[in-house]
Amino acid sequence: MFLTRSEYDRGVSTFSPEGRLFQVEYAIEAIKLGSTAIGIATSEGVILGVEKRATSVLLESSSIEKIVEIDRHLGAAMSGLTADARTMIDHARVETQNHALHFNEPIKVESVTQAVCDLALRFGEGADGEERVMSRPFGVALLIAGIDENGPQLYHADPSGTFYRYDAKAIGSGSEGAQAELQNEYHSSLTLAEAEQLVLKTLKQVMEEKLDAKNVQLASVTKEQKFRIYTDDEMKVVVERLEGSEVQTAMS
Amino acid sequence: MSDPSSINGGSVVAMVGKDCVAIGCDMRLGMQALTVSNDFPKIFQFNNAFLGLTGLATDVITLSEVFRYKVNLYNLREERKIEPETFANLVSSSLYEKRFGPYFVGPVVAGINSKSGHPYICGFDLIGCINFAKDFVVGGTSSEQLFGMCESLWEPDLEPDDLFETISQALLNAQDRDAMSGWGAIVYIITKDKVVKRLLKTRQD
Amino acid sequence: MYSEPYIDPASAHAAAAPIEHRFNPYSDNGGTILAIAGSDFAVLAGDTRHTTGYSINSRFQPKVHTLPCDPPILVSANGYSADGDTLVRRLGQRVQWYSYNHNKAISVAACARLIQTMLYGKRFFPYYVHTIVAGLDEEGRGAVYSFDPVGSYEREQCRAGGAAASLIMPFLDNQVNLKNQYDVQTGEPKTAVYLSLDDTIKLVKDAFSSATERHIHVGDHLEIKIITKEGVKVEYFPLKRD
Repeated sequence: MFLTRSEYDRGVSTFSPEGRLFQVEYAIEAIKLGSTAIGIATSEGVILGVEKRATSVLLESSSIEKIVEIDRHLGAAMSGLTADARTMIDHARVETQNHALHFNEPIKVESVTQAVCDLALRFGEGADGEERVMSRPFGVALLIAGIDENGPQLYHADPSGTFYRYDAKAIGSGSEGAQAELQNEYHSSLTLAEAEQLVLKTLKQVMEEKLDAKNVQLASVTKEQKFRIYTDDEMKVVVERLEGSEVQTAMS
Repeated sequence: MSDPSSINGGSVVAMVGKDCVAIGCDMRLGMQALTVSNDFPKIFQFNNAFLGLTGLATDVITLSEVFRYKVNLYNLREERKIEPETFANLVSSSLYEKRFGPYFVGPVVAGINSKSGHPYICGFDLIGCINFAKDFVVGGTSSEQLFGMCESLWEPDLEPDDLFETISQALLNAQDRDAMSGWGAIVYIITKDKVVKRLLKTRQD
Repeated sequence: MYSEPYIDPASAHAAAAPIEHRFNPYSDNGGTILAIAGSDFAVLAGDTRHTTGYSINSRFQPKVHTLPCDPPILVSANGYSADGDTLVRRLGQRVQWYSYNHNKAISVAACARLIQTMLYGKRFFPYYVHTIVAGLDEEGRGAVYSFDPVGSYEREQCRAGGAAASLIMPFLDNQVNLKNQYDVQTGEPKTAVYLSLDDTIKLVKDAFSSATERHIHVGDHLEIKIITKEGVKVEYFPLKRD
């Protein structure tokens, strides 16, 4: 890829003769430098999990915020240039509130994903002379989890502005290995608790540090409780359960 | 709302049945939005005639006194009871006397002629033009609501009990949709040899 | 549409005094609408007379509209018909956009909120209309929402709007919600039960016949639109033309 580099990768909205937008492709590359984030959709709800990579022992790990609430029924996990996610999340939050104001109903998961992706290509002028709002593409990808009349859903949105729905998806530095693991382990009858464990297990495999209750974060979206970030106590419980089950498999 | 006929609020309605008539009114007296009294009946009896008076409360009281005076004189001079038809014309001419400085009222007359036994009702505008209705007449701040109710509930030849139910439902539901009327109601059911006066239990708002 | 030129009495004697012309952006086109919700249906009815002042412009100008969505939603905006038509047309467009953007048909509840934002959006130059929508809610029950000209709204069992609203509304209180009616045995106030479709239509016809009798802006024809899970049916009924 870097062999084909030419003057076409300077202008953010200039196609190369092969029909590529280099800056967008580089942005997608940037995500692969980010910490791993995983999402699994089950019939009971969606689980989001992220790795909180601490760069210093003095860093307060609770200040790393990579799973955020968009609305009562919507949450997102991020990977990449997380500062860019603020713009997207803010936009998503405004969009969900606007929808609730105008239509007196929670917005659909697909619609909020679409709204976020509408932002992704605003680094060039729009066809209708819309204002150019950014100098470059976003360097972040989102896993958007939510629940609506179509049940629990998980969407992946990337800097190119394309989005797909997934049963299970991993993004970030460990995504390749994690995605392979998810592909092996996912089945449509997973319970929420099983998905919880699968997220942790997969994260553990791809993380450089040893997984503990401090350096990962889980969140869930369920019909009953909507979006919820796990508390420190709950994190302890699920991590202990993971360790317990590993001991069991090792013995048998 | 400086319209004199809708400062104090209130409504009346009268209906014809089979050998009977009914007349009803609300009990409210207000000053614009403020309710001052819930004991302000608007129906007055003059021999065989019943007069419902809505509009400016001072004119309601004054006119009821004027008609008491005039009917008493009529009784002395004629040595007989006044009939509803005669009383209606007395109301009409008395109101027209004040053609250019009128009483701000909406009168309704109901009764049964003691000679013929015919039910009689009529309504007036504030200067005495008579509306000889054969079915029902309405007056006051909830007259639109009363028109809607009466037009859909009333039917010919109702017996006294059914007429009572009909006029009461018409009055109650009409005054519930009018903030200026309500706070109690009175209904008279008039047959040739009996007058029944009923106080209706209504919502107090 | 244009009012008489206003001449200031103080300067009327001065020959060269400027004459002020004023355009009045509103007028009243009369008519009345009425909606009742049932257990698994809703009806929205309106007369078809179109008036300005004492003139009858049309004896057949229907004003109950079916929005382009599935399941359908009935809507009527009674009052100043130019504003009413515009509101309904723009609403149809917004409902269409909604289905494109969210890949589903709009619900009556969402449609009601949308109408509120559209009406309130013109808070300082309002649509001069009393709006009523009828449809089926998410559980399949009949739903009626009514609005004031600037978007204040409420879900109700029934509502009359327009010129003869004050004549019809107390009748509906009495016959649909059984207000001021008591059980003969217990003496307790009667509680409202859902009306059958046949009874509902009878009630609507009675209400309009009565309103036509006493209100000059109501008459000619009655158009009743009935919405069920099978779709929308329309019935016409003659009203007095005097």
